[in-house]
Amino acid sequence: MSTETVCLLIPECVLIAAALAIYVAGAFIDAPKRWSWIAAGGILLAAGSLWLQGGMSVVEGPVSSDGLATFGRWLALAFGGLFVLLSSRPLSGPGTSEYVGSLLLAIAGLMLVSGASEVVLLFLGLELISIPTYILLYLGRRDSNSQEATLKYFFLSILASAMLLYGFSFLYGTTGTTDLTAMRAVAGASAGLADLSKVALVLILAGLGFKIAAVPFHFYAPDVYQGTTYTNGAILSVLPKAAGFVALARIVVAAMPGTEADGWRVVFVLAVLTMTFGNVVALWQDNLRRLLAYSSIAHAGYMLIGLAVALASRATGQPMAFGGLGAMMFYLCVYTVATIGTFAVLDYLGHRDNPVEGIDELAGLGRTRPVAAAMTAVFMFSLAGIPPLAGFQGKLSIFLSALSVEGQTAGGNLRPWFIGLAIIGVINAAIAAAYYLRIIGTMYFRTPLATPRAEGGLGSWCAAVACAVLALAIGIYPRPLVRASFAAKPAAVYTEGETDSQKLLSVDRKTWAETASPPPHLPDF
Amino acid sequence: MDTLLLVTVLLPLGGALVIGSDRRVARVSALATVLLTCVLAAILVFSYPAGDAAFAQTDVTWLGWPGSSPDSSSAIHFNIALDGLSVWMFGLTAMLMITAVLVGWEAIDQQAPLYYRLLLLLETGMLGVFVAGDIILFYVFFEFTLIPLFFLIGIWGSEARRYAAIKFFLFTLAGSVLTFLGLLAIVLWVAHDSASEVVTFSIAELTLYLTNNPMDTGLQWWLFVALFAGFAIKVPLFPLHTWLPLAHVQAPTAGSVILAGVLLKIGTYGFVRFNVAMLPDATVACMPWMLTLAVAGIVYGALVALAQTDMKRLIAYSSVSHLGFCMLGIFAVNRLGMQGGVLQMVNHGLSTGGLFALVGMLYERYHTREIADLGGLARQTPVLAFFMLVMTFSSIGVPGLNGFAGEILLLIGMFQRAWGDAPTQYVMLYRVIAVAAVSGVVLGAWYMLYLVQRVFFGPLREPKHDPKEPPVRDLSTREICALAPLCVFILWIGLQPSFFLDRISPTLDALTTPAMDIAAGAKDSNPADPPIASKPIEGNLARVD
Repeated sequence: MSTETVCLLIPECVLIAAALAIYVAGAFIDAPKRWSWIAAGGILLAAGSLWLQGGMSVVEGPVSSDGLATFGRWLALAFGGLFVLLSSRPLSGPGTSEYVGSLLLAIAGLMLVSGASEVVLLFLGLELISIPTYILLYLGRRDSNSQEATLKYFFLSILASAMLLYGFSFLYGTTGTTDLTAMRAVAGASAGLADLSKVALVLILAGLGFKIAAVPFHFYAPDVYQGTTYTNGAILSVLPKAAGFVALARIVVAAMPGTEADGWRVVFVLAVLTMTFGNVVALWQDNLRRLLAYSSIAHAGYMLIGLAVALASRATGQPMAFGGLGAMMFYLCVYTVATIGTFAVLDYLGHRDNPVEGIDELAGLGRTRPVAAAMTAVFMFSLAGIPPLAGFQGKLSIFLSALSVEGQTAGGNLRPWFIGLAIIGVINAAIAAAYYLRIIGTMYFRTPLATPRAEGGLGSWCAAVACAVLALAIGIYPRPLVRASFAAKPAAVYTEGETDSQKLLSVDRKTWAETASPPPHLPDF
Repeated sequence: MDTLLLVTVLLPLGGALVIGSDRRVARVSALATVLLTCVLAAILVFSYPAGDAAFAQTDVTWLGWPGSSPDSSSAIHFNIALDGLSVWMFGLTAMLMITAVLVGWEAIDQQAPLYYRLLLLLETGMLGVFVAGDIILFYVFFEFTLIPLFFLIGIWGSEARRYAAIKFFLFTLAGSVLTFLGLLAIVLWVAHDSASEVVTFSIAELTLYLTNNPMDTGLQWWLFVALFAGFAIKVPLFPLHTWLPLAHVQAPTAGSVILAGVLLKIGTYGFVRFNVAMLPDATVACMPWMLTLAVAGIVYGALVALAQTDMKRLIAYSSVSHLGFCMLGIFAVNRLGMQGGVLQMVNHGLSTGGLFALVGMLYERYHTREIADLGGLARQTPVLAFFMLVMTFSSIGVPGLNGFAGEILLLIGMFQRAWGDAPTQYVMLYRVIAVAAVSGVVLGAWYMLYLVQRVFFGPLREPKHDPKEPPVRDLSTREICALAPLCVFILWIGLQPSFFLDRISPTLDALTTPAMDIAAGAKDSNPADPPIASKPIEGNLARVD
C-alpha cells in the first residue's frame, strides 16, 4: 500500500467520512432536511478531489487509475448527485440520516469497484454497495410488501455474493494471486488450469448476473421493485448494474485469458435470454415499477451483447473499432439517464404515502401535467431507442459492435453468430417499443381520470429535468460521451500501444485487410 | 445555397420551438413557418441544376468513435444535399405542409399549439429524410418522423385512434429495425472490403464503392431482404399494408395528407436509393418477386377500394394500389420504368394528398365520410366539386394531368420489360403482370369515378343538418389556397413532364445504371429472346410529353 494508493482513494474516503458524519450526527440532531445538503456537499468534495487527481497514473497495487476506473468513478458521482436529489425529501418516519448516509456508502462502493484491480477489494466494493442497499430498501417504505421485498433481496443477494466468492476462490486457487494484473499473467502462461477457470467463469457470471439482473438470476427484480419506492427502484436499477458491468469488464474480460472462447458463448446465451424474457414479460405488466423492472432486465440483455462482443474480440485476438466494452459502457450511460429520469418523474407525480402505481393512473397526463408527461415521453422513446434520443445512440453502438465481429476461433466463424445476436437484439427493440408506447399512449391518448398529486418534491423534479436534458443532449451530440465510454478500458487489456485508440483503429483495419489469412495467434497481453 | 438548405431543413424545427401558446398565434406562426420554408425550398428546387452532383451540400462531422480524428470520414456526418432523386420530393414536402397546416385551421381546437408543433417537427423530419447524405442521418430522420405522426394520429384522430397510432408505430418500427441492421451491414462490409483506414457512412461514397466493387449475390440477397423489411412496410407493399387503411382513416386530415403525400414515398425512395443503387444483383434477382407483389398490391388495392363505403378508406386503398404502380415502375429496372416510378411518387403525393384534404373538408361540413350519406353535392359546393374532379382525374391518369405522365412511362417501362427484355423463364409471368397492371388503371378509374359520381352528382342527398351549426358553405379562400398550389403542379407536370424528368434523370441514371446493366445482361444470357431494340423507343418516349 503506497502513498499513491492512499491518495487515489481520497474521493472514496471523503464520501465515507461524509456518510459517517451524517450517521453520527443523525443520532443527536433531528433535522431531516439538512442531511441531503451535507451529502451533496460530500459528493461535490469527492468530485473536486477526483478532478484534482486527474493526472495521476497508478498501475501497481490494489487500486488503479486506468480508463475504466476514471469512467466508473465519475459515473458513480454523477449517480450520487442524482440520487441525492431524488432522496432530498425526508422520509415519513425517522431514519432520514441513515438513508442518506447509506446512499453515500453505496456510491463509494461503486467507486471502489471501478478502481479495484484486486479481487478482494473488488468484492469489498460490491458488498459496500449491497449492504447499504438492504438498509435503503428497508427504510424506503415500511409496509409488509416492502419488508418482503427487502428480505427477498437480502437472501438472494447473499446467495449471489457467496457464488461470486466461490468463483473468486477458484481464480485464486488456479493462479495463486488475488491481484488481477498478476492473475492475467499467470493464467495466460499456464493453459493447464483452464478447466478450473471455467468453473470460476460460470460462478462469477452467476454472481454478477444477479447484480445486473440477467435472466435466470433476475427473479428478485420485479417483486423488489414493486415493493419499494421509486427512489429505491432507481438506485436498484442503476447502482448494482453499473457495478456488475464494471466488475465483468475488470475480471471476465481483462483477467481471465483462456476462458474467452467459452465466455462469449455463455454471455451470448445470457444476452439472448435476458433481453427476450425481459421484453416479452414486460408486455403484460400493469404496475409501473414492475414494468420498469422487466425493462431494466431487458436492457441488461442489450449490454450483455457488448460484453459478448468484447469477449469474442478477445477470443479471436482482433480488437474491433466499434469495440464491445466501449459500446457496453456507453449503453450503460444512456440506459441510466433514461431510467433514473423515469423513476424521478414518476416519483414526482406521486405522493410519499400514495405513489403512482398502475399505468392507468397516468391516463391523460399529457393534459393534466404536460411537462411531466413530455419528460416521461422523452425517457420512454429513449429507452425504446428511437432517434434522436440517447437510447438510439446506445443501440447504434451496440449493434454496430455486434455486426463488426469477425474472425475465426476453434469453434468456427463467429460472424454468423453475432449477426444473429444483432437480429435478435433489434427484434427485441421492436417488442420493447410496444410497452413503452403503451405508457405514452396512456398519457396522451386517454382522457384524464384524476390529476396526479405531483407532490414528489423539487428534488425529484430537478433530477427528472436533468435526465431529460441529458437524454436529448446525448442523443443529438453523443460524441463526448462516446469518447469517454470508449476510453473506459481496463488498462491491463490494452497495453503496449493499444491504449491509443488511434492505433487500435489502424490495427483493426490491418487485421480486416488480412482476414484471408488465418488469425496468427492470440495477442500477447 | 449550401447554408440555405440547412436553414430550410432546420427552420420548421426552430418554428416548432418558438410557437405561441395560444391557438390563433400558434396557427399563424405555424403557417408563417411553413410558407417561409416553402419559399426557401422553392428557391432551392428551382435553382437545382440538372446533373448528378450533390447540390447545396452541408457536411460536418457529427458523431464518431474514438480513433476517428475529427476531420476523418470514419465518423458519422451531418451531411445533407439535394440531388435529382430527392429534389422534387423535397419540394413536394414543403408544399404539402402548407396544405396540411391549412386543412386543420378550424378543425383543430384542442391542444392546438402542440398540434402545430408536431406538424413542424414532422416537416423537419421529412425534409431531412430526403436530403440526408449519410446513412445514419437518413435513419435518424426516417425513424424520427414516426414520433410526431404517432402523436398526431393518437391525439387528434377519430374513434380507434389509440389502436391505429400504436399499430402504425410498431409496424413501421418492426420493419425499420431490420433495415437499420441492413444499412449497418452495408457500411461494415464496405469498410471491410475496402480495407481503408476510414469507415464511411456517406451514402454517395458507399454507392460509388459498391458500383465498382459489387458484393457477391448471396450476401446482396440477404441485405436486400433486410432493407426490404422496413421499406416495404413503409410503402406499403402488399401484403404488409394492413396498418395503412387504419392509420389513414383514423388520422386527422393533415396526418392523412402527409402520410399519403410524403411518408409513404420514403419507402419507395429508400428502395431506389439503397436497394436498387447499392444491391443491383439482388434487385435483378428479386425482380419477379417484387413485380408480383407490386401488381398484387395494384389489383388488390383497387378491388378493395371498389368495395368501400367510406370515402377515406376508399382513398387509403387507392394509395395501396397507386404505390404498387410506383414499385412496378421501379422494379421494371429500365430507364422508362424508373423515371415513371419516381415521377409517380410526386404525382401520387399531389393527387392523393389533395383527395385526403378534400375528404377532410367534406367531413368538416357534413360530419360523415359515408358515400351513401351524400349525393349531388356539386350543386351545393361547386368549387369543392371542381377540385375533387381535378384530383380525381389526376389520380386516374387523364391525359394532360400529371397522373398520365407517370403511369404511361412506368407502364411502357413494364411492357418493355415483359415483351422486350424478359429472361425466358419469366416471360409469361412478366406479361401477365404487365396486363394485370393495366387492369389496375381501369379499376382505378372505376372506383374513383364511382366515388365522384355518387357524392357529387345525381339527386342531392345530405345528412340531416344540425340547426345549431352554420349552413354548409362552399370552399373558403383558405381552403382554396390549400388546394390551388397542388393543382398548379398537377397541370404543370401533366403538360410539361420533361421539365421535371430532366432534373430527375441524371441522378437516377447514375444510381440505377448498374442494376439496369445487370437486368439487360440477365436477358442476354437467354439468347432465345427476340432482341427488340429498346434504344430508339426510349428516345422517342422520353419526349412523348
